[in-house]
Parts: sequence; structure tokens; C-alpha cells
Amino acid sequence: MRRLLKLALQKPEMAATLLLVLLVIFFQIRSDMVFLTYDNLRGMLGFLPEVGLVAVGVTLLMICGEFDLSVGSVFALMPMTMAVMMTMGWGFWPATGLGLLVCAFVGFLNGWITIKFAIPSFITTLGMLFMARSMTVVISGGFPPRLNMDNIPEHLFVSYVGPGDLFRASFVWFVVISILISLLLSKTNFGNWVRATGGYLPAAEALGIPANKVKIACFMICSVLSGLAGLMQVLRLGSPLPSIGEGLELQAVAAAVIGGTALAGGIGSIIGGIIGAVLIRVIDNGMVMSQVDSNWFKFAVGALTILAVVGNSWLRKRGRAMKVETER
Amino acid sequence: MRNFKGLALAALLTTVSTAALAQDPLDIAFTVHSGSSNTFWQAVQKGYEDACAKLGATCQMVYVQTDGSVQEQVANMEAALARGPDALITSIVDNAAFDDVIQRARDAGVIVIAANVDDLEGAAGNARQAFIGQGFVPAGYSLGQAQSANFPAEGPIRVLVGVSAPGQNWSEQRALGVMNFMDDFIAANPDRDIAYERIDSGTDLAVVSDRIGAYLSVHPDTTAYFDTGFWHAGVARVLADRGVAPGVVLLGGFDLVPEVLEQMKAGYVQVQVDQQPYMQGFMPVMEIYLAKTVGLAPSNIDTGQGIVTPDMVDAIMELSAMGLR
Repeated sequence: MRRLLKLALQKPEMAATLLLVLLVIFFQIRSDMVFLTYDNLRGMLGFLPEVGLVAVGVTLLMICGEFDLSVGSVFALMPMTMAVMMTMGWGFWPATGLGLLVCAFVGFLNGWITIKFAIPSFITTLGMLFMARSMTVVISGGFPPRLNMDNIPEHLFVSYVGPGDLFRASFVWFVVISILISLLLSKTNFGNWVRATGGYLPAAEALGIPANKVKIACFMICSVLSGLAGLMQVLRLGSPLPSIGEGLELQAVAAAVIGGTALAGGIGSIIGGIIGAVLIRVIDNGMVMSQVDSNWFKFAVGALTILAVVGNSWLRKRGRAMKVETER
Repeated sequence: MRNFKGLALAALLTTVSTAALAQDPLDIAFTVHSGSSNTFWQAVQKGYEDACAKLGATCQMVYVQTDGSVQEQVANMEAALARGPDALITSIVDNAAFDDVIQRARDAGVIVIAANVDDLEGAAGNARQAFIGQGFVPAGYSLGQAQSANFPAEGPIRVLVGVSAPGQNWSEQRALGVMNFMDDFIAANPDRDIAYERIDSGTDLAVVSDRIGAYLSVHPDTTAYFDTGFWHAGVARVLADRGVAPGVVLLGGFDLVPEVLEQMKAGYVQVQVDQQPYMQGFMPVMEIYLAKTVGLAPSNIDTGQGIVTPDMVDAIMELSAMGLR
């Protein structure tokens, strides 16, 4: 039992999970038991796959020891590419395929520039943040094209599919992709390479791990997931505004860190990133529910973010310090 | 003879300077507090560039990288002034931060016109020569007044005012206008149970949808939601998703972007205020031209508190898609 507790406390996502449970209980009580009602859950579960997919990509990349600050801009660039191509007469699938290829290319560029010129990915992707956002505005001419929803298979992305129409199709995509990325990270050689590359690069290279290729692959996965998330939001809201996703990069990094991903790389889990993303949405939604003065919104989000990370650090120390008997 | 030579020289100088004025294009910079990805500002830019094209003026629109960043905008103004333009057009989203740079521009002989957002003190707030834009408080009041025609005749009324950008003049003043109206409405209906409150609603469709959706879950009896921008278009989606019929929760806000027009057609948005962004870009250039060529003093233009209702949408939709409305 004590051994299990020690293992649980050392899980990177443990503090965030505990905080999430406490906050859900708190907001449920503060909102006169409305927080977990069907309508509100349905609203949150509609938004979650979009921020969640971005958080999954950013978490994977951070475990690999790199950052991507361009995810918010790629989030807007992908659906805008698709929408513009559709107005030019392309079908939905070719236009979507091109949009995802653009994302993959952006991810490749992020990785290639970072490695080739040995500069921090923080800088590379900060530059890409501006470039991708600018491209979004440029290709749209500033005015978002109208989407003809008749030509779009909405049912595959945003229609309600879950029991009692609680989930959208985007939630299924999110769950499946998250499981696949988790399996990729925990059950494959590639996952081991990612952790090794993020944990201690010289050792990883000495072991013959193709660290550069691993990093570029993670950058590309991160960008493609961000683009896919942007597509889902645009299809849900019906509007490819060039401004969507602004500030999302910080939310995604915060989600990963809250979920226990180490800023230095090597440590973290996909489920942690997802819990971090859920926590941020719960805080934002719960603030409204519990009628907190709107001027305190950002303060509360910031304070709870710090609390989650401090709690995470404390729990892991406690876990490490806990003594257990070893079997002979 | 000497007089004749003097007259001839004066005539020559006049001719040369007139010719020079005719040949040297006006050099104008337009600095704003928004990032380029805001659809509304693209309509302002279109008006600005169309006007510049008509006059053959050299014009530049300068956006900030971080939406609403006052310090970035001031830096952009400094950079634009260093080039020595004939005129500077700028939005004034802060009551103090722009005073110094505007004064220096005026001292250097640069015409300065405020557009879209003005200092809360108006002309007394700084050295700008005119303001071309919407009177935000009256516009907010007009919005509240127009939407109140759709309020139920009896029973309690609960109104939510979404402040898109807390602390920024444009958003706070529009909200204030709506709340001023609500105060008057409450005073005019002392026997009815009427309440309103404000919320930090945000400037992202998805975030606004989530926040207002959460509020509506707690307060399903909400009568109306007012947004200080156009982000209530996302709220309309939430209502549709929940199977709430159009008109059960009244929606109204500002600016005619295509998303809002679609929701007006669907019946979810009943009232919208149009501030005519194209005019906010076009008219400052014309005033600068008149000031430079004829010496006319720039003057204020109220670009409108026009109330738009669903029956007007079809006519507007095409113009909106072209960025003219």
C-alpha cells in the first residue's frame, strides 16, 4: 500500500489531478450545484478537444526538450488555408489535406531551423508565431471567407455523437489521438527516444538515438495537432476568423507544466498535459459559475497555476522521501 | 523694376510650391491598438487605403503585435513620426500614454487626427485636432434602448453585459452606455424586478462562448446579453446547440462582421450597432487633404450609432463581405 502511494505521489500529474478534483467540488458547491449540469458539461466538452489537442502536442514536444510558441498561430493558419482553398473551388478533403501539410511544413521548419542553427526553439517558434499569424491574415486578405457548411462533413468533426448528445465528434478524435500519442510515448522505441532526447541529449546521441530526427518529428506532430484543433474550432463555431488561437500557446505551455511536464524536458505525460488543459478550462468556467468579480479572473487563473506547480513539486518530494521496504 | 522682379519671383515660388504640392504625395501614417487579425480593422484599412489611392497619397497602416498593447502603439507612433510624415492618424485607447507623442507631432507640424477611439476627455485630453469615430457611451446607450423594445412586457428581467476588454476605453465606454440605459430603464420601471451585471467576456469567439454559456447555465432566466464587440456571435451558436429558440435570450452588440450578420439572419441577434469602420479609415485622409491643400481645420465626425436590425441584413451582407460595412 505504502509502495503504491509512493508511486502515485511521484506521478508528474498527481498534483494537478488532486487540484482538479478539489476545484470541481469547490465550483460545484459555489455554483449551487450547477457546475456539473448537462448544459455546462456539454459546453466545456465542446471546447476541451480544441485546447486539449494543442496541449497534447506541446506536452510531447516539451518532454522532448523543446518549446513551440507558434501553436496558436498555426491553430488559425490551418483552417484559414482550408477555407481559402475551398472558396477557390477545392473540395473539403483536398483543402484540409493541404492545410495539414502546411502545418507539417511549419513544424518541420521550426525543428530544422532550431537544429541547423543551434538556436533555442523558444526563439525559432516565437518568430514563427508572428510569421504564421501574418500569413493567416495575408491569405485571407483580412476578411475571413465564408464557409459553405453544406460542403463540409460536419458529422465527422463537430456533430454530437455521445450519449445524450454530451460529446461532439471532436471529443472522440481527441480521445483517440491522445491514446495513440500516449502509446507512442510509453510503448514504442520512439517514445523512449523522445524521453532520452529531452532528458539528456548528449547521452541520447551517444546511444545512437537520432535525436535531430526525433525532435523534428515532435515539432511536426505538435504543429499538425494544433492545426487539426483549429479546424475543429472553426467547424464548431462556423467562422474562420484570423484571430482565433491568440494566446493559446501560453495556455498550452501552462497546461503541460501544470500537468507535471518538466520545462527542461525528459519528464512528463500526455495525460498530465490533458489534465492541465482541463484544469485551465475548469478554472475559467468555474469563475463564471461562481460569480467571481470579473476583474479577478486572470489573478485566479495565475494563482491556481502556481499552486498546481508548487503542489506538484511538493508531492513529488514527499513521494521520493517516503521510505518503503524492499523485498529480499 | 525692382518691384516687378520681386513680383516675378513671388509668382515663380508660388508656381513651384503649387507644383511641388501637386507632385509630392501626402505621407500619412495610421497607428492602431489592434493586431492585424481583427476583422473589424481590415474594414478601416480598406477605407484608409481606398482614400489614399484616390489622392495618390503614400500611406501606411501600422498594427501592434499584441492586441491592445499601448506601449507598442506608442513605439509605432514614434517610429512613424521619425519618418517625418504630413499627418498621423491614431486610435487613442489610453487617456495619458499618447499625450506626449501627439504633442511632439503637432509641434513638428504634423496633422494629428484620432480615429475609432478617442481620449475620454475628448479634445481637452491631448493635442489631437479632431476625432472621427463612434461616440461609445451614446452608442452603448442606443444599443440598450433598441434592444429594450424586445424585452418582455412583464416579469423579471436579467441582463448580462460582456466587457470584451476590461480597462480599454472602447469596451468600458460601450458597456457604460448599456449600463446607463439599464439604470434609466430600472428607474422608469420601479415595480419590475430588473437586474444587470457585467462580466469579463474576452475577445475570442470560443472563450466568449464558453464563459457566457457557463453564465447561462447558472442563470437560465437571462433576458439579454450585450457584448461590447461582435463576439456574441459565438453565444448564438451555444444557444442553437442547446436547442434554445431564437429570441429567448436576446443578443446585441457592435460592428457588422459576417458572423454576426449570419446570426442576425438566423434570428439569434436582434440588434447591432454599426460604427461604419470604412468611414473611419476614409474620412481622416480626406480631412488631411483638405487641411493640407485648402487649410481647412480638421473637425469631428460621428461615424454613427446606426442600429441595424435583421430586416436590413441582406442588403448589408454583400457590402460586409467586401469589407465596406
